Amino acid sequence: MQILIQLFHILVFPGLLFDVAMGVLLMGLNNKLVARMQNRVGPPILQPWYDFLKCCGKETIIPARAKRAVFLGSPYLGFVLLISVSMFIPFAGFIPVTMGSDLVVILYLLTFVSVCEILGAASSGSPFAGVGLSREMVAMISYELPFVLVILTVARAVGADQPSGAVFSLEGILAYQEMNGPLLFSPAAIPAAIAMLFVIPCETGMHPFDIAEAETEICEGMLAEYSGTPLAMYRLTHMVKVYTMSSLFVAMFLGNRFTGIVPVDILIGILLCIAVMFISAALPHAVCARLKVEQVFHFYWTVVTGFALAGLLLVWAGV
Amino acid sequence: MILVNYAASFFLIALGLYCMAVKKNLIKILIGMGLCDYGTNLLVVSVGFNPGGTAPIFTAGEIHPGMFFVDPVPQALTLTSIVIGACTTAMVLGLIIRIKAKYGTLDSTEIRRLRG
Amino acid sequence: MNMEHYPILAIISLFLGAFLVALFGRLNKVLRNLIVAAAVTIPLCLMIALIAPVMIGGQVIGYWMGNWAPVGPWAIGIGLEVDALSLFFGLVVTIAVFVSGLYSFTYMNRDDSLENYYTLFLMLSGSLLGLVLTGDLFNIFVMIEIMTMTAVALTAFRVDYEGALEGALKYMVVGSIGSTSVLVGIAMLYSQLHTLNMAQIAAALPDHQNLVTVGAFAFLFLGFSTKAFLFPFHPLAADAHAVAPASISLMISGVITKCGVYGIIRLAYILYQNINEPAVSILITGFGAVSCFICVTMAFNQHDFKRLLAFHSISQVGYVITAVGLGTALGLSAGLYHAMNHTLFKGLLFLCAGAVQYATGSLDLGRLGGLAKKMPKTCALFLIGAASISGLPPFNGFFSKWMIYQASFEKGLDTGNFFYIVVCVVCLLSSVLTLASFVKVAQSVFFGQLQPQFENTKEVPLTMRIPMWILAVLCILTGVLPWEVLQKLVGPAAAAALNAAGYIQGMLGSGAAAGAGAQAAFSMEIGFWGPVSWLCLLLIVSCAVCLVAVLGTAEQKSPEERHEMDRRAGRTAAFTRDGFADAGRILKPAEKEGHYRNPVLSGTTLTFTGEKDPKYENFFSGEESEYSQVGGGDLFWGFKTNWRHYFQGMRRWHSGVINDYTRYGIVALAFVLLYACLFL
Repeated sequence: MQILIQLFHILVFPGLLFDVAMGVLLMGLNNKLVARMQNRVGPPILQPWYDFLKCCGKETIIPARAKRAVFLGSPYLGFVLLISVSMFIPFAGFIPVTMGSDLVVILYLLTFVSVCEILGAASSGSPFAGVGLSREMVAMISYELPFVLVILTVARAVGADQPSGAVFSLEGILAYQEMNGPLLFSPAAIPAAIAMLFVIPCETGMHPFDIAEAETEICEGMLAEYSGTPLAMYRLTHMVKVYTMSSLFVAMFLGNRFTGIVPVDILIGILLCIAVMFISAALPHAVCARLKVEQVFHFYWTVVTGFALAGLLLVWAGV
Repeated sequence: MILVNYAASFFLIALGLYCMAVKKNLIKILIGMGLCDYGTNLLVVSVGFNPGGTAPIFTAGEIHPGMFFVDPVPQALTLTSIVIGACTTAMVLGLIIRIKAKYGTLDSTEIRRLRG
Repeated sequence: MNMEHYPILAIISLFLGAFLVALFGRLNKVLRNLIVAAAVTIPLCLMIALIAPVMIGGQVIGYWMGNWAPVGPWAIGIGLEVDALSLFFGLVVTIAVFVSGLYSFTYMNRDDSLENYYTLFLMLSGSLLGLVLTGDLFNIFVMIEIMTMTAVALTAFRVDYEGALEGALKYMVVGSIGSTSVLVGIAMLYSQLHTLNMAQIAAALPDHQNLVTVGAFAFLFLGFSTKAFLFPFHPLAADAHAVAPASISLMISGVITKCGVYGIIRLAYILYQNINEPAVSILITGFGAVSCFICVTMAFNQHDFKRLLAFHSISQVGYVITAVGLGTALGLSAGLYHAMNHTLFKGLLFLCAGAVQYATGSLDLGRLGGLAKKMPKTCALFLIGAASISGLPPFNGFFSKWMIYQASFEKGLDTGNFFYIVVCVVCLLSSVLTLASFVKVAQSVFFGQLQPQFENTKEVPLTMRIPMWILAVLCILTGVLPWEVLQKLVGPAAAAALNAAGYIQGMLGSGAAAGAGAQAAFSMEIGFWGPVSWLCLLLIVSCAVCLVAVLGTAEQKSPEERHEMDRRAGRTAAFTRDGFADAGRILKPAEKEGHYRNPVLSGTTLTFTGEKDPKYENFFSGEESEYSQVGGGDLFWGFKTNWRHYFQGMRRWHSGVINDYTRYGIVALAFVLLYACLFL
């Protein structure tokens, strides 16, 4: 029975199925919201899901230059890895697996997801994919520094009165927030939260920062050679990543258990995820044009890192 | 007296390092390395020096109370170090001969195909 | 046989092997290889046999050469002393030697005068093993000199290889600063304590702190860091690694640097026991962090496979030194763990580079490409190595790097010094940069487009892949079972390093350790990470996804059916893109050979004429697939434009002139001396 419950957590809620559903929902809402902000009607909310199904039905073409196993395997591996990351992030007090939810582990596993995408792109042998992956690498270097600083800030802010001085475990962070209220309400954490809000769209490759997939410049970049089901997997991975990052933000800065009543908590959690998505992804998408490669790097290493560093210094000073 | 030794060894090492850092000719750089070696050897052997001590060789009948030796260990170290220094010199000379044959020059500023 | 003879036998078997090869190697190739195989296997077996008593039993094995036992508190003879720390490094050395020797058999078979190669190789191995097992300070110097000499000779072994002589010369000349410093340091220590035995020095030093011993510390530290190729000596490593044969690159990067690390650990933890002084800790950590960062950025500029790996190698050693400098139990364990991991994964990567060189004859990142199709097995091995060095879970690099972050952050919080937080961030950042750099390597060597001239490349023989697999399997094992490794290998070694009293007693008997610090409490608290359960989780999810994928395809109509529907609906197959694609599917035999262009629809039959359809070779090239010059150019353009001043400065700085490198060395020496005199 224990195993069945565990499996249910892993596969249905808050695991695989729920992740996919939330990913589709967030992405659909994102499209809709952006469209409304731009005075368009916008696609139906389930459009990403229709796109996914449509993609699955198409033929998969494997370029002659591609390394077949890597080309086909990496989208699936990436997706599975991402799902495993999302298992580490508690949602509404549920943690599918209790074995560990360390922020550094999450950071690295998220990197691994991007690496899978890069690997697949590299193995396609297309020069466009080559350009795309180099841009993805630059994007990764850009957002990783502020992300790291945010993680250190949160760990310090939560662990200030612990013997070890820092708490990297998400469970610990949640426990802290349950006792002391959301971290976002403490002034020292606000710059870090702002930095984190900027990290989300770049990590997920949302519009103004989607330098790696710039379709008008480099023909979808990394995805240039992909078609059919692998492409659908990439799209799905992308959607789930938006959800994963939003729920990570919620877990880090807002906490999980708000009322103690499970359905209400789940509802609040979903709403908060949508709010985070709206602020971090939909707003910049609607407002900005796509940045240039070096602009992304510059922006992240000056402005966003500045916020993150300010947060760390504030927490360090014990504000 | 022993201070002179220390000063000299310091001077030799400094001179050697100066040669290695400034001289462009590979042979001169090698000489610099040699100077460093000699300076170090001088330092090591001076460390074991006891003013008034005799050579650390036991001969029956010669030992009498109040007699003392210089420390033999640093002398052994120096010998080892000298041998190693000779090997180093031979090695570098061998390399320099090959480099001269290949690059056609002994100027260190022109032997820089590996850089950046 | 008594356990205490094992260390000396291990060293002797390597040196004896060297002399036997020199004597008989010329006569018979098989005999030579047998001698080498025996000489590299015996030490490994002996070291493994020592694990049980030393690592788990906590024994310290002391051995007096020629039975010159100490008289009272005075150690007269030369002693070997194997505590858990020595054994840990001994294991690292012997594994690397074993793998490198095995790999050489095939890898070097195109060179001549191999008996010289094996003689030097075995001498190098012997000196490395001697260095980590000895208990005598002057012995360390001698071993360092043998090591440098043989390593230089081996670097220049392929005399005609571009830059081999130059790399060797730089290594020798600039490395001699390090050797000189070590000897000067030893002489200064001797002048104060009148002994060369490390246990005795460790017992006496805490009571004899004066300006001379502090100076000796500075000299010895700089000497060992030269041997570890720390900043600012890293250009040497790059030059030497890049031009040496790959099996020797493995030794230089995997083991020689580790000997430098070993020296620094012995120096700061056992001899001086001053690692807890903030000034020492900051000095060592600072050197480590700077090496870590500068070398990883230097790797971005490289176009030579092995030169790039060389810079990464120093970057990883920088991690190790950073962690070692923290001085906490967690930090030291992290450093030791990473040192071991670095030997494994960097060895693997160098061997992969060697395999590429063996198969294609080139190491130029600009010219290679698309080798994954030709050398799939090497590619898989490379990916394991690259994932390990980039610290992707569940490979071994992840766990040790994670421990390093944790240790440096906690040290920062404990001491309230923001320096350690900066170090932590630098380490985390370097990890991303490492990853980025290896993506570049993977893209430009194994993926991307295959150059026409490498069309006939073949996979390397199995005898070369076996050593690589050994390392790869070790990489995975140490990554998947981190707690076991910590408990059985790293933990005891770290505990031994923190237990100077135990080291002194092991050599000189109890009572001698009066002045040394008591055994430090050894505990570790790291976060949660269960690679095994994570892998199970991954398996469950993959099964689920696969299940859905299989069910999904089963429900889909087959292309034939869909085409039939299209036909009934009166649509021509070539009309839409999917229709076109589906039509291609029908011709099963043609599909096997690739797709063909010019579909002709006559009635209801679809026929293809003409040559292969280039659409299926490269999605975007509408023309015949040919080699495209679009190579993505500089992979890190956006990053490098923002940092162009830094990169330009770095390029100017790594000028390749011996004198410049010597100058950096002298400046470093002066700095360390001054720092030591001011703050210690």
